[in-house]
Amino acid sequence: MALVAVAMIVALAAAVVCGLVVGPTSIATARVLGDVLSRVGFGHTTLTPTQSLIVWQVRAPRMVLGLLAGAMLAVAGGTYQGVFRNPLADPYLLGVAAGAGLGATLAIVDVGGGLTTPGWTPVLAFGGAIVAVTLTWVIGGRGLRSSTSTLILAGVAVASLFTSTQTFLQQQSSTNSIARVYIWLLGSLASASWSSVTLVLPYVVVCVVICVAAGRALDVMSVGEDESRSLGLPVRRVRFIVIAASSLGTAAIVSAVGLIGFVGIIVPHIVRLLVGTSYRRILPISVVFGAAFLVFADTIARTVMAPSELPLGVVTAIVGAPVFVLILSLRRQMVT
Amino acid sequence: MSIVELRGLSVRAGSTALISDVTLGVEAGTWCTIVGPNGAGKTTLVETIAGLRRPSKGTVSIAGEYVSSMSERERALRVALVTQHPNVPAGMSVHDYVALGRTAYHGLLRAPGVGDRQAVSSVLTRLSLDEYANRDVATLSGGERQRMVLARALAQATMVMVLDEPITGLDLRHQITMLELLQKEVRECGLTVIATLHDLTLAGQFADRLVLLDHGRLVLDGPSGEVVRSQELADCYGMKLRVIDVDGADVVIPVRH
Repeated sequence: MALVAVAMIVALAAAVVCGLVVGPTSIATARVLGDVLSRVGFGHTTLTPTQSLIVWQVRAPRMVLGLLAGAMLAVAGGTYQGVFRNPLADPYLLGVAAGAGLGATLAIVDVGGGLTTPGWTPVLAFGGAIVAVTLTWVIGGRGLRSSTSTLILAGVAVASLFTSTQTFLQQQSSTNSIARVYIWLLGSLASASWSSVTLVLPYVVVCVVICVAAGRALDVMSVGEDESRSLGLPVRRVRFIVIAASSLGTAAIVSAVGLIGFVGIIVPHIVRLLVGTSYRRILPISVVFGAAFLVFADTIARTVMAPSELPLGVVTAIVGAPVFVLILSLRRQMVT
Repeated sequence: MSIVELRGLSVRAGSTALISDVTLGVEAGTWCTIVGPNGAGKTTLVETIAGLRRPSKGTVSIAGEYVSSMSERERALRVALVTQHPNVPAGMSVHDYVALGRTAYHGLLRAPGVGDRQAVSSVLTRLSLDEYANRDVATLSGGERQRMVLARALAQATMVMVLDEPITGLDLRHQITMLELLQKEVRECGLTVIATLHDLTLAGQFADRLVLLDHGRLVLDGPSGEVVRSQELADCYGMKLRVIDVDGADVVIPVRH
């Protein structure tokens, strides 16, 4: 565990430095760090006003939004895997992605008229995600009385409905609109600003705290619904709270950065391989590694083909999959 | 004085009656085993006593309080459950699994306290599981696993324990070991046990009292020796049964027509 704690600190620090220092405009690491120190009262900055603008108005909000998105998606994935006792569960299981996708498509293809301003995309994406999850919850056995398998099936049905509607809208729209929808669907931190950070911060903080606090309850739930009830766990209430927190936090993040896949599945699984199966450890560690992972992925996304950017969802999959396979094989070797 | 009271209990699943009008009292510190053929309603009965099913009619009370009006936590402090096929999550240590039995005491937001740790340690010692404490639950044999499940239920430190076929899948030696451990808890700690068993010989040898169920109805309720010799028992299974005495213990043998 001590090694994991050190790895967490190093990963997070490296991600922050990467997010602030690496970019198409070359600014020396020492000068960026000197500027950071000068803001907390040590020494003087040597950055020009333009460089300061790039670091604090472009890179810093992007890095912070990346940390928040990675933390939320990873902890929501871990929480879903625990509450559904399903290793394939990800934060989009109950229709968040399909709902947000439909909402964003509605804004981008402008079916209602007057929605094409960029400000409407996150609003409709958030609304679509919340509507989809609520619909799943209601259809999947009217909320508290539902079983997890019924909820998952309802999620599949709702996601199919929303995705087909989205596909229909895309088919009716222009090539330009379709391209913009796809860019949004693949996720990006390019439009990050301090205002988008301020918008998602309260959701992420509250939802991450709830998910992490649910770790002990999820450990109890690992013995199944009936047995955990007999151990004193109010299973249905816990399930409602953690699903609501995970979905709300994910909806807030998706509305700001689009659909970034893979983080919610791969980070909790990598953490599980490192620290074992207890959600009391998996969830808080996933918060840190998820945050760092997404900032590293974003650094690759915005630098590999600069000045154009790779879709973030593509990078998370390309980087995440080999790392996961590597850790899995190392773990196997250690066991044998 | 009965610690567990069932009054006119009926349980339905849709339009199907699973339990019909069962009235039963189980005294504190005794062992009551429910027997009956498949589909008799044994599992439904123990699940209802444990609060996992709601009665459609009638009541279940433990120490004078209705089970259906208790919260999950209140129930977990009064009755522990061992299911027929317990879920054993791979990757968890035996110690952590047994410690789940203390959930109702320390809650979901607090770590186990000194009392909880002592209770877990004491149960691990009583059931000779000390040496397995750090083992992954997935690496245990069937017998060790069932002992661990019993340890988790004992860690709940309840007055009543209900067990649904606790010796399923165990070899003869482990069946006896498991039932003897349970009997020790009844004799020495005053635990009240309500269990379902298919093996009529073991049911008769370990229980103070047998309750015969068939088609959801209580057919016979009495001392073990009387129930295993009753015509009603043979009728419920639809076959001839012979009971022979081996060193003072009743052995029930089915006789093929």
